[in-house]
Amino acid sequence: MANPPIQIKNLDFAYGPVTVLEDACLTIADKEFICMVGPNGGGKTTLLKVMLGLLEPQKGTVSVFGQAPTLGRKWIGYLPQYASLDPSFPVTALDTVLMGRLGKTRSLGFYSKADHEAARAMLARVGLEKIEKRPLAALSGGQRQRVLIARALVSEPKLLLLDEPTSSLDDYVEKELYELLQELNKDLTVIVVSHDIAFVSSYVERVVCVNKQVHVHPTSEIGENIIHDMYGEHVHMVRHDQEQRHG
Amino acid sequence: MGEFFQALLHHSFLQHALLAGLLASVSCGIVGTYVVTRRITYLAGGIAHCVLGGMGFARYMQVVHGWSFLTPMLGALLAALAAAFIIGWVNIKAKERIDTVISAFWGMGMAVGILFISKTPGYGEDLMSYLFGNILLVTQRDLQLIVGLDVLIAGTALLFHKQFVAVCFDEEFARLRGINTQFFYFLMLALTALTVVLLVSIVGIVMVIVLLTLPAAIAGRFCLRMGSMMALAAGICAVLTSAGLAVSYQPDLPAGATIIILAGVTYLASLAFNKR
Repeated sequence: MANPPIQIKNLDFAYGPVTVLEDACLTIADKEFICMVGPNGGGKTTLLKVMLGLLEPQKGTVSVFGQAPTLGRKWIGYLPQYASLDPSFPVTALDTVLMGRLGKTRSLGFYSKADHEAARAMLARVGLEKIEKRPLAALSGGQRQRVLIARALVSEPKLLLLDEPTSSLDDYVEKELYELLQELNKDLTVIVVSHDIAFVSSYVERVVCVNKQVHVHPTSEIGENIIHDMYGEHVHMVRHDQEQRHG
Repeated sequence: MGEFFQALLHHSFLQHALLAGLLASVSCGIVGTYVVTRRITYLAGGIAHCVLGGMGFARYMQVVHGWSFLTPMLGALLAALAAAFIIGWVNIKAKERIDTVISAFWGMGMAVGILFISKTPGYGEDLMSYLFGNILLVTQRDLQLIVGLDVLIAGTALLFHKQFVAVCFDEEFARLRGINTQFFYFLMLALTALTVVLLVSIVGIVMVIVLLTLPAAIAGRFCLRMGSMMALAAGICAVLTSAGLAVSYQPDLPAGATIIILAGVTYLASLAFNKR
């Protein structure tokens, strides 16, 4: 593909007098699996919202598949932070996935039969075909994230953008979720925002560190030096050895 | 209670009152579900109280300047729509202290109404019926208006059900999928304004917010989807208004207040049940 999923050049972003991102440059290639890490307030979510066209940078250019973010974002499947949704909202798993068909389906009236078929197929793809009628509120944390991934996928995106998808999950469920993402990565580009760098580094190819500045590191480079750069001296690293990763 | 049913057969004012409650329940169930799930109760309360400004102004112009076309109901309609638009716009633009801004409109709307009503000859009764409703004074014309608004509200809700659900659940995601979320937000507020006007004639400005939110809140405890929540909320609203009317008739209690007490007690009782 000629145009990369994400291309950011010399981007500055500030909320009023507070600079959040400074001279950020980032190019993400087709079918990459990228993790974005950084401290809270470091600008991860801001960078994400700039990519989605929800925020307008003061300086620099952003292109999504070669287009302005507001146009290119139709190719992005987005999974928002878990805490941003009302956990008791009256929708079923299938209803939730169907929302991903907005923009593809007709504008008046209810969802079509084709929308329902696409939504069911996507629930099956994330391994949840049997729970389509269950209310979202009754699902486990891991199941709920899978439903939201299905909602992001059902619009047939070329780039999947996930904002802290595993922050509410147990390690075991987190591992399963990353395996699903790895599977999906065969067909599309995946960007995951996470603060759990050690865990994620076994799945992704490059890590994007966002802390006002944006630095890109191949996973092999990730070591104590970089961690200390980002978070300061007092971080203890946990090593995941090869056995555990694939076991 | 038996007396109520006897009287219902003979008095058209009671039939009108019962019908008004049943008809208003349709919009109440639909819009109440939006208000509860989108968490705009306070905003809806602000709109409701601004309605007094419109009613007071309309009554003043009718009595003092002879503008007979400007009925209090029409004044209420215009004021509610204007308030919905202004409060909604402020809500989008202002980044903080939105509750304070709503309070300002809430109070000013009431104050404007009271000023106009105090300058209108024979104001006392008007003020009471605007504030606390008088379902027994519902006329044939009011019923026609309620039916018209019902058709408009239910029609809009059916046509754009997908978009409304998505905007209530996750506005940002809906926007990313190409939905004009601002348009649907304002449309939702406009529907809320229309429903407030419908309910004002039944329970009055002060208590509108209870009838708008509690039936939906009760329904929300038992329903798994927006559509069924709307239907159940409408049913609960219909039962509450009818029961309130029946209970209040013989001891000659104010119908609006009786309906509200019933709604409140039912809601509190529903909290005792486990949520779905």
